[in-house]
Amino acid sequence: MLWLALLVPNLPLQVFTRGLAHADTPFAVVDRVGTARILCANTAALALGVQPGQPLSTAQAVAPALQLRPRQPERETALLTEIACWAGRFTPRISLAPPDTVLLEIQASLRLFGGQARIEHELGKGLVQLGVSARLACAPTPLAARWLAACGQGLPASEDWQRGLDALPLAVLGSEGDCSTATLELLHGLGARTLGDVRALPAAGLARRQAQSVSLLLARARGEQPDPRLWFAPPERFHHELALPAPTHNSEALLFAARRLFASLASWLQARHAAIDHCRLRLIHERQPATTLDIILGQAANDEAHLALIARERLDSLPLPAEVCALGLDADHLLAHAPRAEDLFGAPGQARDQAMRLVDRLRARLGEDAIRQLAPVADHRPEAAWQSQAQAQPGRRRATTPGAASNPDAALPDRQRPFWLLPQATAISPQHYTLLGDAERIESGWWDDGDVRRDYYLAQRSDNTLCWIYHELAPPGGWYLQGYFG
Amino acid sequence: MGLVLERLPAGLVWQGTRLADAQGATLHTGFAELDAELPGGGWPAGALIELLAEHPGVGEISLLLPLMQRTPPERWIAWIAPPLLPYAPALAAAGVPLERLLLIQPATADEVLWATRQASAGGSCALVLAWPARLDTAALRRLQLAAEESATPLFLFRTPSAARHASPAALRLQLSPSVDGLRIDILKRRGPPAAHPIHLTLRSGTRQEPPQEPSATPGQTPPPRLTLVG
Repeated sequence: MLWLALLVPNLPLQVFTRGLAHADTPFAVVDRVGTARILCANTAALALGVQPGQPLSTAQAVAPALQLRPRQPERETALLTEIACWAGRFTPRISLAPPDTVLLEIQASLRLFGGQARIEHELGKGLVQLGVSARLACAPTPLAARWLAACGQGLPASEDWQRGLDALPLAVLGSEGDCSTATLELLHGLGARTLGDVRALPAAGLARRQAQSVSLLLARARGEQPDPRLWFAPPERFHHELALPAPTHNSEALLFAARRLFASLASWLQARHAAIDHCRLRLIHERQPATTLDIILGQAANDEAHLALIARERLDSLPLPAEVCALGLDADHLLAHAPRAEDLFGAPGQARDQAMRLVDRLRARLGEDAIRQLAPVADHRPEAAWQSQAQAQPGRRRATTPGAASNPDAALPDRQRPFWLLPQATAISPQHYTLLGDAERIESGWWDDGDVRRDYYLAQRSDNTLCWIYHELAPPGGWYLQGYFG
Repeated sequence: MGLVLERLPAGLVWQGTRLADAQGATLHTGFAELDAELPGGGWPAGALIELLAEHPGVGEISLLLPLMQRTPPERWIAWIAPPLLPYAPALAAAGVPLERLLLIQPATADEVLWATRQASAGGSCALVLAWPARLDTAALRRLQLAAEESATPLFLFRTPSAARHASPAALRLQLSPSVDGLRIDILKRRGPPAAHPIHLTLRSGTRQEPPQEPSATPGQTPPPRLTLVG
């Protein structure tokens, strides 16, 4: 077994700052339990002299521009869950270790990803996209991995990793809450400074002084005692929120934060070998119902860049009733997704994917009705012999891809038809036209009150343009231009 | 001197009297007379091509018909902001794959440019036809770059008055209807200026006989042949 601990330092702070593009605003999280104190602060605030543990009034005195948010423990748990969901693309064996750590068992994934260093590299890259900074450490037991991560150390050489553990400071024992402050003080009083010192103490003596839990913890960390962990089961629906550090109207800032959620969604989908064809972005306001933004794709996808592109087009044109203080992303209807096999001679389905993406992008910006497709209809009247249909929605599947079969039943006229049709036939004076060929009478439409009786002619206008004109036989008669042959 | 130049490997030195070798692939226009006059023997595949015509219907669709019939599968033929309605039965009868034809009608002029750029970039369209209302040099340049990058031929339809302004287009053709087809004046190409206009015969089949009298007014036509009764 090889455990990788992913420890999120300053989790209460990172819940808010991950949606922030620029880290130069001083920002701090306040603990409301008892007297209000600063819990953690970002680097800009620390530089101004704000310190964790400071009373609120002191912090505001040293940094008047400090932005403050109360701690939100439920968002911290949610972020940890989100990271666990996201990490599902690296290994299915994940365990949560509150308050701030996710443990991944990566032994079985080593070969797939090409070694521990590669996994750590990929994790690091992905965490940047999520907007989370974390410390990673590997060890054969979960507890050791976590302690190493807490101390910011890498894995000691594989043979004597237990000796490396001995060098860790005493304080790591308290990180998971297994060891009470009183016990830690006792050990400190006994002169122990590192875990090695604690291990050297006689076990019977520790047990007599109510410090038996320490020996147990050490035995677990060293792999001498079993340390069973509860596996994390990823939820069936994707439902995550992201709090913004300050309410905003700015679509760029919103998009930046939304990208974090899309990255997380993409990984969640990858872990489940699934794709989505629609998801819903919720823009949560302080005092008003949330504005929802439905993102609909023409084709199932699990690619964050594509989702972000469509969200950008929609966000740019979306009127916001109030400032947005948090974002939420929901996706539930999962579709099976088979990853496409890499092909030596170019990807076979790539052209179709690209074609659908173009339609998605155009539709997101221009609206549903701006993108149409044409089809002939079996009708004798020229103005009724065609129809335009909106590109199919993902909900009702129709011929959505270029190359899908068209309607072959529609009867095509045996006479030549013009390429351009005027939206409305216009009255003309016949002197400017020379008729070519004989007439074609079109007389039909009694069934839907669109009755026509016309004689159609090919005609050449005085400027040599080939036109399609007709003579109205029904009173009051007259000559009309209906199309150009182009 | 001329002899020395002749002996050089092809493509090393370009002489002004010759047509330039096409930089990218070219697509046959389907008309031998026109191919002979275009650099590389066809439409440049990744370039901006301007077609200037007074009004729609001069024969521009017939000119591009061979290209539309030959589009590769799973690529769109994008028509962006056409001035009139493309008539589906005629296009289908002419062999244009309608299921691959994408009709885009943006609401504003800016959106027309945006949609044109999106369609020409990325390589998801085999052919882009656009009828932009107004264009400036910067927009043209952006479109040219988008077309170049994705090797998509982009046809812009503009009015003849646009010929007065410079354009980064690789090819500018002025189209006007002639008695039996289309007259093409090559305003700009990579090579020497064209000496004479090209005449394409587009509708030899449609004209059964020349009009008996030049002033055959529609009032004195032979009785119509009844083709169908609804």
